[in-house]
Amino acid sequence: MSKIIGAVEIGTSQAKALIGEVGDAGSLSIVGMATRRNEGMRKGEIVDFRKAASAVHAALEEAEKMSGTTVDSVYLAQTGSHLRGHMLRGSASVSSSDNRVSPHDVQRAAIEAKRRQPDEGRSYVHHVRTPIILDDKIIDDPVGMMGKKIDLGYWSIDGDDQAIQSGLNVISNYSLEVNDLILSSIASATMVAGPDLRRAGTLVIDMGAGVTDFVLYRQGYVAYTGVIPVGGDHVTGDISMGLRVLEPYAEKLKLEYGQATPLADEQAEDVWIIGNKTIGDRAVPRKAIADVVHVRIAELFEIISKELGPLLKPENLQGGILLTGGGSQLKGVEEVASKVLGQPVRRAGFPTGISDELAQPENSTVLGLLHYGLEDHSLPGDSSQQEEVGLLGKLGRFVGIGG
Amino acid sequence: MKRTSKAKTQNASGWRKLAPKSSKKPASFPALRKKLGVAGRVCILFMVLGLVGLGFWSLDKWFGANAAPFDITGPGAPISEVSFSSDGPLSPSWFANWFGPLRGRSLMEIDIDRLRKDLEAEPQIASAMVSRQFPSTLCIEVVELDPLLVLRLRRSAGGFEDWIVGSQGKLYQGFGYSPAQLSLLPSLAVPSRALKKMAAGDGFEDLQEIAILAPLLELAQRNYPSMYRDWKVVSYQLENPDSPAAHIRIQSGKVKDIRFAPREYAAQMERLHYILLEPDFRKKKVIESINLCHDRSVFAKL
Repeated sequence: MSKIIGAVEIGTSQAKALIGEVGDAGSLSIVGMATRRNEGMRKGEIVDFRKAASAVHAALEEAEKMSGTTVDSVYLAQTGSHLRGHMLRGSASVSSSDNRVSPHDVQRAAIEAKRRQPDEGRSYVHHVRTPIILDDKIIDDPVGMMGKKIDLGYWSIDGDDQAIQSGLNVISNYSLEVNDLILSSIASATMVAGPDLRRAGTLVIDMGAGVTDFVLYRQGYVAYTGVIPVGGDHVTGDISMGLRVLEPYAEKLKLEYGQATPLADEQAEDVWIIGNKTIGDRAVPRKAIADVVHVRIAELFEIISKELGPLLKPENLQGGILLTGGGSQLKGVEEVASKVLGQPVRRAGFPTGISDELAQPENSTVLGLLHYGLEDHSLPGDSSQQEEVGLLGKLGRFVGIGG
Repeated sequence: MKRTSKAKTQNASGWRKLAPKSSKKPASFPALRKKLGVAGRVCILFMVLGLVGLGFWSLDKWFGANAAPFDITGPGAPISEVSFSSDGPLSPSWFANWFGPLRGRSLMEIDIDRLRKDLEAEPQIASAMVSRQFPSTLCIEVVELDPLLVLRLRRSAGGFEDWIVGSQGKLYQGFGYSPAQLSLLPSLAVPSRALKKMAAGDGFEDLQEIAILAPLLELAQRNYPSMYRDWKVVSYQLENPDSPAAHIRIQSGKVKDIRFAPREYAAQMERLHYILLEPDFRKKKVIESINLCHDRSVFAKL
């Protein structure tokens, strides 16, 4: 029997809802997707609840209508500059007398790692496990192996309670539950960077409208995540301020003429702001637009470079640096990124099987949410306790109440 | 459908503690529509449950009020027509009179077996067949007894009444017989002491001796019809059929006294037929007597 799952991304410029159907063989097919302009967000955080909720709910309703079904719970993308990541580590000695590792040993190490509480007013959003080390050796699954000590780590991301609660309230207001919160950068990377690239080491940068998320993988595991509160909207704002044009026209100029690489003087020509040369319209140099964009984009990658520091060594990133998100469509952005980060940067592609309509850079997060949610992130040897939903539970699901 | 609980417990100190316990007032129209949809489904569920409960309660009430056995066939249609046929003089009007009014009688409610038995209990009816022809017709077919003799009895109030005598000796007042039909039958002459009233009801007990002489009359009617038509009165002395004095006496127009022994009727009829063909017997208008009781001998008085 197929299962219906949903994913929601509350982005700074757009709210996206996606509904997928998981078949018996584990295959995922997208049965509904909708996008709505979101005017309730700033830099990845909800500033107007009603506007954000209207956009998200409208997208969910349309996606449900398209799919011909309803969802009970969704995976929610989490982003925003309030998010901070740190590495948590824990260890446990092998308890059995014959030094054979049991699932319980792994769980004890995990509990030890997650023991540290976040600061006041903050809560953990996402725990991403790092490699398990058994007696100083990296092991994928130590259960059943001989050893003395297990070290386990989590790259844990915590966020502001209020910001997290706002997102949860938006979803709850639509009578839905949140299955899990997933970091936007990790969701995007799940979609555009396959296991091979992650194992080789890769940096995925998701350039959104309000924020830029990035995640760095080493040996297949998350080594670092970050959120820079700079996105495409800031580029638009710079054009608006720099050229003294209204923001809608600045956005139009960015989309039509914007490019991250600066133009040579001889390539410059004037472009009309409105475009129809009527009263109020004026020409601006195209080079000026490019210069403004270049500065902002270069600054963005400099911030990323500074934040990652030694993690940005080429030997750690054999898989390369990938750009995704709406901002990655800016002309010349990969050249600027390559120059600033000192390594080849390319635009990320999508795996085969995704339709052309969906395989757009701005959809990488919401698509990645579904794929990440379907993956098994449990500890090795962890037989999760599965709850059987009884008749009352099924009845509750039918009428849309209860969990 | 299954869900994982382990992730939930592990994140109990994480963001899950921030999840709202219940959703608040819908912040958008789509959310309101979704809530109404949920509410609608809950209402439909309660309505369905309510209707099912009401149905069970109603059935319980109805069955409680109707404690009588449940007739699964139903009362059926009322009888609108009766199809009556008989091989004798009994007519549909006789049956209508006998059966009573049709109004209020249901075809299915009629006990056709009992009706058949009641019909066969009638002295004039030998056998009856009763059946239902749906939707509303009752079919009756009767076979009547053949009348053998007529017994005329004087009424105490004056006058006469004719009783039919069947071949088994049954005495009954025939219905539907015309005087012409009865005039074709020979009369029975028996002493009044031979007639015994029935213990219950009107009527007489069967005349046992009739069974002995019935074959003679049936043989004559069948094989010697011209002779039979002339037979007027039948009497008998058959208290002891084996006695040499036992005889059957026929008074006919041609012969005032024909005596038959109560056996071997065929031979006797043949001798009678032969002797009546004799020239002397033929030219006589009336013959006094012919006695056929003595084996091959015939005693006749011209």
